[in-house]
Amino acid sequence: MMFAVAIIAVLLALTLTVWRALKGPTVFDRLLAANSVGTGAILLLALFGFMTGRPEFLDLGLTYVLLNIIGTLAVLKYFRYGSLAHGGEDEETET
Amino acid sequence: MVLLTLMAAITIGIVRLRNLFAVVVLGGIYSFLMASVLIVLDAVDVAMTEASVGAGISTVLMLGTLHLTKSEETVPTHTPILPLFVAVVTGAALIYGTFGLPPFGIADTPMHAGPGGDYLALSIPDTGVANVVTSVLSSYRGFDTLGETTVVFTAGIAVLLLLKRAIRPQSDK
Amino acid sequence: MAAMVINGVIDGLSWILLVAGGFFYLVGAIGLVRMPDVFTRMHAGSLSDTLGAGLLIAGMVLQAGPTLVAAKLIIILGVLLFTGAVATHALARAALQDKMHPLVSIPGKGKLIEMAAEDAVVPVTDLVPMARIKNRLNPGGSKP
Repeated sequence: MMFAVAIIAVLLALTLTVWRALKGPTVFDRLLAANSVGTGAILLLALFGFMTGRPEFLDLGLTYVLLNIIGTLAVLKYFRYGSLAHGGEDEETET
Repeated sequence: MVLLTLMAAITIGIVRLRNLFAVVVLGGIYSFLMASVLIVLDAVDVAMTEASVGAGISTVLMLGTLHLTKSEETVPTHTPILPLFVAVVTGAALIYGTFGLPPFGIADTPMHAGPGGDYLALSIPDTGVANVVTSVLSSYRGFDTLGETTVVFTAGIAVLLLLKRAIRPQSDK
Repeated sequence: MAAMVINGVIDGLSWILLVAGGFFYLVGAIGLVRMPDVFTRMHAGSLSDTLGAGLLIAGMVLQAGPTLVAAKLIIILGVLLFTGAVATHALARAALQDKMHPLVSIPGKGKLIEMAAEDAVVPVTDLVPMARIKNRLNPGGSKP
């Protein structure tokens, strides 16, 4: 029951986040929303696992966390350097 | 239900957007939502695959591809009436097909009356592998899986070659 | 009898933590929709990532008891906290690099303007300390 309340809250939050992702004027808004959706998916996964009495789903949650950060950082790196294969050595001189 | 509605919204957003970066980001969101739906449907392994392939690998690969092309989609010149018609008819046929499916989670469906029970009963004495899915994939269907792995490996090499060749002149600069 | 009391207390605490976590998560998402520009939205999003997720996971840890599940939850929370900070920082940095300027408030006017050097009617020293962001070599100032 208590998990159901939290799940409803997370679902509402996911709805709002997706709205921001669709509306977001810049790509950064969408990225921020994507990051939040990833977090929301993890929480939803954990809560749903607890609600159905199968908390073994949490291993998946760990995977999601790592994937989320990889995705966000890849996109951001692309934005800064225009390429994924570029090293970060000229970080200070580029500005 | 909420998740499916959100997925539909994301899809419409993807179709309407012209900026391909935003499309890639929305694709990642779509994959996470799809994974959540699959978890609610109790298909945890498929959800894991969806999350890692959809949100992880394909985002990175799409970005590598975007590096080779423009980031703005050109406005199409033809009208999409015929493809729309084909898509609507196919979708209607698929939805009509779902009416014939047995109810979700029921035990005595034709799918469960077949040889599946034999696999469940015999796989541990036959192969000694504790997980039934693993035993089917890598023991009963070993050559099939070997072929699949070859295909995936070849595709991976091809993608790496395509992405790498065009990136090199940039980074030498 | 004592075990029942303890269980009741744990359940109550979980209720409080989960409801509070859901509330903060929702507030963060509302902020994500309502805030005026990218940097403030990052600020709102960090609320749901830290306080919301932290309270929700704390509530679940209480329900799980001292098991492996609780350890996994705590690992997830730790990874979330670290990666959230890193991702937000990288996001703010990339946004600054892409020539987006944070909104700043001018004292006495109550109106938000975009912090671009040409648009600023008042001298930079009159702005709130966020104006240090104008020095774009110092993106650390952009943390929400």
